Amino acid sequence: MSTSDFVDIEFNGRSVTARKGETVASALIGAGFRVLRTSENGANRGIFCGMGVCQDCLVEIDGKSNLRACMTKIDGPISVRRQQSGRRTARYTLARPAIAVQDVQVEIPEILVIGAGPAGLSAAMAARRSGAGVKVLDERSNAGGQFYKQVTVSGPDFPPADQQHRDGATLFEKCVDLDVQFEFETTVWGGFENREFIASNRAGTVRYNPQRVIIATGAYERAHVVPGWTLPGVMTTGAAQTLWRSSRRLAGQRVVVAGNGPLNLQLATELTDGGAEVVALVEAARPNRLGAVVDVGRMFLSSREFLIQGIGFIRRLKAAGVNLLNDHVVAGIEATSSGLRVKLTGSNQRTSLQTLEFDTDVVCLGYGFEPSNELARAVGCEQDYDPVRQELKLRLDDVGGTTVQSVYAVGDCAGMGGAMVALSQGEIAGYAAGQSLGYPLSNDHRSRLGMARRTMARQRRFQRALWRIYEYPRVNLEHAKPETAFCRCEEVSVGSVLSALDNGCVSTGEVKRRTRLGMGRCQGRYCVPVLQHIMANRAGTTVDSNSGFAPRVPVKPVAIEDLLRSMSNE
Amino acid sequence: MNDRPQRLDTAIIGGGVLGASLAGFLAAGGARVCVVDGGHGGGSTANAGSLHVQLQSRFLRKYPDKVSALERNLHLYPKAVAFWKQLETDLGTDFDFHMTGGLMVAENQEQFEFLEHKSQRESRLGLDVQLLGRDELEKVAPYLGPAIFGAELCRQEGKVNPLLAHAALKDWGTGMGVTFLPETFVGTIERSGSGFALATPNRAFQADRVILAAGGGNKDLARSLGFNLPVASEPLHMNITEPTEPLIGHLVQHADRPITLKQFSTGHVVIGGGWPAHLREKDAFPSVELASIIGNTTLAQHIIPEIAPLRLIRTWAGINATMHGHPILGQFSTMPGVYAAVSGDAGFTLGPFSARLLADVILGYPASEDMTEFSPDLYTI
Ligand SMILES: Cc1cc2nc3c(=O)[nH]c(=O)nc-3n(C[C@H](O)[C@H](O)[C@H](O)COP(=O)(O)OP(=O)(O)OC[C@H]3O[C@@H](n4cnc5c(N)ncnc54)[C@H](O)[C@@H]3O)c2cc1C
Ligand SMILES: Cc1cc2nc3c(=O)[nH]c(=O)nc-3n(C[C@H](O)[C@H](O)[C@H](O)COP(=O)(O)OP(=O)(O)OC[C@H]3O[C@@H](n4cnc5c(N)ncnc54)[C@H](O)[C@@H]3O)c2cc1C
Ligand code: FES
Repeated sequence: MSTSDFVDIEFNGRSVTARKGETVASALIGAGFRVLRTSENGANRGIFCGMGVCQDCLVEIDGKSNLRACMTKIDGPISVRRQQSGRRTARYTLARPAIAVQDVQVEIPEILVIGAGPAGLSAAMAARRSGAGVKVLDERSNAGGQFYKQVTVSGPDFPPADQQHRDGATLFEKCVDLDVQFEFETTVWGGFENREFIASNRAGTVRYNPQRVIIATGAYERAHVVPGWTLPGVMTTGAAQTLWRSSRRLAGQRVVVAGNGPLNLQLATELTDGGAEVVALVEAARPNRLGAVVDVGRMFLSSREFLIQGIGFIRRLKAAGVNLLNDHVVAGIEATSSGLRVKLTGSNQRTSLQTLEFDTDVVCLGYGFEPSNELARAVGCEQDYDPVRQELKLRLDDVGGTTVQSVYAVGDCAGMGGAMVALSQGEIAGYAAGQSLGYPLSNDHRSRLGMARRTMARQRRFQRALWRIYEYPRVNLEHAKPETAFCRCEEVSVGSVLSALDNGCVSTGEVKRRTRLGMGRCQGRYCVPVLQHIMANRAGTTVDSNSGFAPRVPVKPVAIEDLLRSMSNE
Repeated sequence: MNDRPQRLDTAIIGGGVLGASLAGFLAAGGARVCVVDGGHGGGSTANAGSLHVQLQSRFLRKYPDKVSALERNLHLYPKAVAFWKQLETDLGTDFDFHMTGGLMVAENQEQFEFLEHKSQRESRLGLDVQLLGRDELEKVAPYLGPAIFGAELCRQEGKVNPLLAHAALKDWGTGMGVTFLPETFVGTIERSGSGFALATPNRAFQADRVILAAGGGNKDLARSLGFNLPVASEPLHMNITEPTEPLIGHLVQHADRPITLKQFSTGHVVIGGGWPAHLREKDAFPSVELASIIGNTTLAQHIIPEIAPLRLIRTWAGINATMHGHPILGQFSTMPGVYAAVSGDAGFTLGPFSARLLADVILGYPASEDMTEFSPDLYTI
């Protein structure tokens, strides 16, 4: 173990040994600090999404407040403080001149790719191969997105990168070799109808006026609105997975993993292998029911390796004695003197099942996903309701083109399809974008394209079968209580929203103006999809594409001072 | 589609601050009122919540020919602000009304002289205004940055949280039996029998009395009746930051640049002041422009550097209804039963007070102001 792999940071005056390259959130979790901030109403909050979406992990770092602990990489000694709502830390006394939009530097890449996950990387690679100039922006500190997130810490005691990590690294290196330009730690916070985008990072702000844009911004976990879902120690499956796969940190010693879908299975296995005690893996559906045999067969035919991997996960968990529960959902979580107590109840189809309780340190919730399509919507892309997945999806043509000219959307932001589908979608859209700029496709490109199409069809068959096995109606407010927080940011209760609906609010916008639901820092990403569904259910209709909030920028908060700097000038 | 028109006594078209207040006052006076609202983008739930009293520099720059009309009616503004306070008390609610006083800041001698001149006129017109040099400003408003040279303080200015106010007004009306019909856009109004037929996409109404309180929408509605109201729709831009500790004690404006700046009691800093927005091509939805985000927020930190590290959490656009110099309130004498309700510049400030004036006319109460200049009859085609 080399000392250069570690760095001492300070948290509220106490010393914490951090691993160089991990995030502030991961170092603090590793040191047992779970409370990162207190909310406006004085409630404790910690990391929830682990991917920069929920804004619940805000801390003060070296006198600067409102920084996301989960997105801030440690590369030197820093002083971190628990954030108290609204406190201003540093004094600002310099009157910097106002600027105009013309003062902000403009870049005009041929193709701009937003998001460096599997979809974005493969799109960038294909577009570059076709001959176009490609710029990729991502707000994380390295490439890979959710599926290929890289191990960011080094030390002989940490489990090394696995095949999934290595595949991601290879994909990224290929892009670099092809001279794709990358800009990391760069948040794209606005998109406009004229296809202009704006992005900020530590160095400043740049406007992008690309000829083509490929949006590959992924997805985030759906809310599971139950009592206690805002407690520190309750986080998404993805958050716990990122802690482990990127920083080799366990979210806690005892973990309950609960939700719907195969990612929970993968996490439970990884945490078990990593030395955690997985108290229970709780699945809402009943994947081992009889009818599933056909689907398992289909999966075998379409993607044998993933099926085998899944069966391997179950074997390993059984061998480790993990309690594998189907047909149960998390109905509530409470804080105890030693951690958390999670209450399970029989899921919708099986309400006859008894209530169960487990003591644990951490609860991971993974009840499905919502696409991160706010940038696409901001530039005007249309969506349609998908009754099977019970979500709104961007309307796309067969190469990933949206309803807005020259704007493509690929990967999970265009509807959850998994990493393999994302790779193929990216490749198809990348070539299409290149071709639309006048770069002719060679025979080699055409054969790659053909392969991508075949892979996508096969992987879609796999996904369809997989999701039939895990089929479960979306959970809205079934397990919430009137006092349960509906909107995490503005701390709006379920009861007050329901009474606004009873009092005649007819649109999500009206509910927002009435209750402040969705007005906080996460921009309504968690509460609004749930609200859309309960409003549609009450009206006896399905969610329609205009029922969400109007897309508003910034899609992620941006500091005013970051607007003052132009990247090129620094 | 229901063919039989629904009968209404008094139909108010538009449920913004003006329509909703008017509904309450009329209902309190015994009328049976229905508020019909198209439900899109009115200014009343999108505005900055500034209670303006002093002459706004933006107005003086943009509409020099309307200044004399505005000056003639300037006395309405302090009354309108006091009326907001009265309303909050009468409704027994809290919509974050605060008479904080408003500062219009100057950055140099020239701007300061502009304020000096302006404040002298305003003093003569009865406003409570005072010029403050840099030293006095340090005491009154220590949060202002070093770029600020001096300011004009008008103690009668303040703020209201428009969302709280709007919700309270609707609840109040509902409690007195007012019906609010949301998402109901009135296409045309026609004389029909002894009343008026209102056409909406999904049903028709027949009303005895119609009040045009549709903001910028009044233009088309009036035209369908043969009148030419000089109102126009103006999409405007707003920004809000995440909350911070109490910092900004006043409503802040600038002598030479478009901006309003204030802090709600929730801690959020609200930045507006008339930067442009536009109506989206596909559905006429008010949408923001990058130029306004950059220009408006960086100007805000120039005036108050302490807000520079705050993160912007949202921007939005709303439609202002412009009417320069004075309100239009009253009955079209050539078409008894039809009334116009437009409150004029800083229409949120004037909203409830204008509604009170019009309600008094409709209910036959004695008028508290000379309403001659507000008559809609001046705009008959
Ligand atoms: C939480 C979570 C956990 C998952 N875990 C697994 C798993 O264990 N196994 C598995 O097989 N699949 C998993 N998946 C599914 C799989 O990761 C996805 O199908 C795949 O990663 C989709 O690739 P993508 O490129 O579309 O999106 P992502 O991989 O999510 O990449 C999107 C990228 O866009 C960036 N981005 C988003 N918005 C902005 C913005 N405004 N500005 C700049 N950058 C932005 C993000 O930082 C991210 O890097 C998971 C998905 C999620 C959401
Ligand atoms: C961004 C912004 C900031 C502002 N800031 C301030 C401020 O700080 N202080 C201030 O004093 N003023 C401010 N204003 C101005 C102020 O908001 C308006 O003057 C005021 O809200 C007008 O109120 P209203 O009730 O007359 O009209 P509106 O609030 O515009 O309401 C009109 C209603 O009529 C409805 N409607 C329109 N046409 C039809 C139709 N045909 N059928 C049915 N319904 C229809 C609309 O949906 C709307 O709800 C601001 C305006 C904007 C846009
Ligand atoms: S945990 Fe950091 S933003 Fe959600």
